[in-house]
Amino acid sequence: MEIDGLKSLLSDCAEDKDMCAMASEELTEAFGQEKRLLHSLLKSFLPKDDDDERDCILEVRAGTGGEEASLFAMDVFKMYEKYSQKNGWKFEVIDTKESDLKGYTEASGTLSGRGVYGKLKFESGVHRVQRVPVTEKSGRVHTSAVTVAILPQADEVDIVVRNEDLRVDTYRSGGSGGQSVNTTNSAVRITHLPTGIAVAIQDERSQHMNKAKALKVLRAKLYEIERRRLHSSRSKLRSEQIGSGDRSERIRTYNFPQGRVTDHRVGITHHSIDDVMEGQMLK
Amino acid sequence: MSRLRLPLLSSASTTLRRRRSPRSSYSSGAVITSSSASHHTPPLKLQSPLFLRPLSHSASPSALLSFRRWAESLARSSAADLTFDGGPSSSELIREISWLLQDATSQDGDTFLLRTDLEDLYRLWRQRIEERRPFQYIVGCQHWRDLVLAVSEGVLIPRPETEEIVNLAARVEGLQDGMWADLGTGSGAIAIAIARMLGENGKVVATDLSEMAVEVAQFNVGRYKLENKVEIRQGSWFEPLQDLQGKLSGLVSNPPYIPSSHIHGLQAEVGRHEPSLALDGGENGTDHLLRLCEGSISSLKPGGFFAFETNGDKQSEQIVDFMTTQWSNSFHDIKIEADFAGIKRFVTGFRR
Repeated sequence: MEIDGLKSLLSDCAEDKDMCAMASEELTEAFGQEKRLLHSLLKSFLPKDDDDERDCILEVRAGTGGEEASLFAMDVFKMYEKYSQKNGWKFEVIDTKESDLKGYTEASGTLSGRGVYGKLKFESGVHRVQRVPVTEKSGRVHTSAVTVAILPQADEVDIVVRNEDLRVDTYRSGGSGGQSVNTTNSAVRITHLPTGIAVAIQDERSQHMNKAKALKVLRAKLYEIERRRLHSSRSKLRSEQIGSGDRSERIRTYNFPQGRVTDHRVGITHHSIDDVMEGQMLK
Repeated sequence: MSRLRLPLLSSASTTLRRRRSPRSSYSSGAVITSSSASHHTPPLKLQSPLFLRPLSHSASPSALLSFRRWAESLARSSAADLTFDGGPSSSELIREISWLLQDATSQDGDTFLLRTDLEDLYRLWRQRIEERRPFQYIVGCQHWRDLVLAVSEGVLIPRPETEEIVNLAARVEGLQDGMWADLGTGSGAIAIAIARMLGENGKVVATDLSEMAVEVAQFNVGRYKLENKVEIRQGSWFEPLQDLQGKLSGLVSNPPYIPSSHIHGLQAEVGRHEPSLALDGGENGTDHLLRLCEGSISSLKPGGFFAFETNGDKQSEQIVDFMTTQWSNSFHDIKIEADFAGIKRFVTGFRR
């Protein structure tokens, strides 16, 4: 209302400079307020979650699109890294699997800070990219996809993992091992036997650290299964489903030739793709 | 973690006992100098690990990229020649290149700051491939458990198997505030890890015969600010522990246990570069282990715990046999524990 009034005031008083300046100043302020109100309104619609305050684990996987998808997976992974730096969160790479062109076929990291999971949980799903791949000679635009998963972190209290349920595989030299062998291979793969979930970590330089990280990721995965089980039994009672967290849900399309990013969850298109990729405005 | 605490190591005494003369001239940064000729011997100089050196060099991204490409192609073309004796595979070498650059560089906008010059990186990588110099000596550190330990020629590089000895010690109840000993500490790895899990009054005495090891261990203890918790003493096995007879709550050791006849067939990284003082366990490999078992009778207090690493399987069984037949009155609950590869790696037990 106020905005409409100010707009007409602005057009009526074209001759009165002072009035004009005052009106436009108030208008700017009103716009800002409108945006804030809309934002908080939108946020109040979002379902609250007991896990919102938790730290989270981010997983990015290249989907359809081969090498180009791996390159975009790396871009998306770095986008979240920059976003978390902007928010003052701590970002730590867990593991990356490089593709031939140094993209990521898979990458995972931990994000910690205030309300991280709550802020990022709706990022889970499919992120599509449309652009001319560096590998494409004819200049044709390709569409590729990566999937993002955001898992709340769980600690020993949330998820009790029994040692006898785990199989831990490590690099084995053959022969006597111990002092006879010098190796920098400290890769660890942990398999949770009851569920068959396996996590392999190799980027840390000690076996102890690789194992600790693998357990952390495993715990988050088991916790997520437990959450989904609870969630699906609860959601039967719920009519509305905002952000189901379904991995196949489309989240955004990043169209580089047109410089736009379309957010499919709210149907809004941004025209500043560079800012988005720099982690400026993932909202 | 305390970074950039440069070594204040000096020792006025004696010369380094080197088993063999160096085969090649390592980059100036990595040489441990000592002069045996002069009477007033200069202090030993431990070059600090690469990742702790100042960022006093720089390089363009393209220069670093061409280093990486060169190093990777050298790794790929040479790996086949290295794996025959259990040496690194090409993918392991390529990961080492990433770690070398991680330790050596820091990005500042468009230029990279380096902790050593680019030429040295080329030299170091050539040593890695052509001389089979262990990666851990190249970068001067080993990541072990949650620690980053300085290592250097003349000191055994702590092995991943040995990480488990700390877990074994952690499982023991009621000894966390006592006096522990780590004999033949090398880089100080076990002593430091145990010191960090002990109670407020718990302490560790770590011994080593090698002067070089004593220096490196002291440096590592300092880096983790454990000077009040870990005391390093130089000497052979129990010799420096005369004052602690019958007082130890825990005793751990990873002594040299490789049978002498196996030494010359070892993987080049180990056989050519690591100190045989830390590897050679005599004819059966059990010379030092048996001394440790015997010595623990007089040095452990009743109820005290011991854990020793062995060459595995048969050797562990031999030690257990010996302890149960010869010293059954002295120990109880003697057990064998496996390492992550399922090899019977450790012998543990308690003093009666």
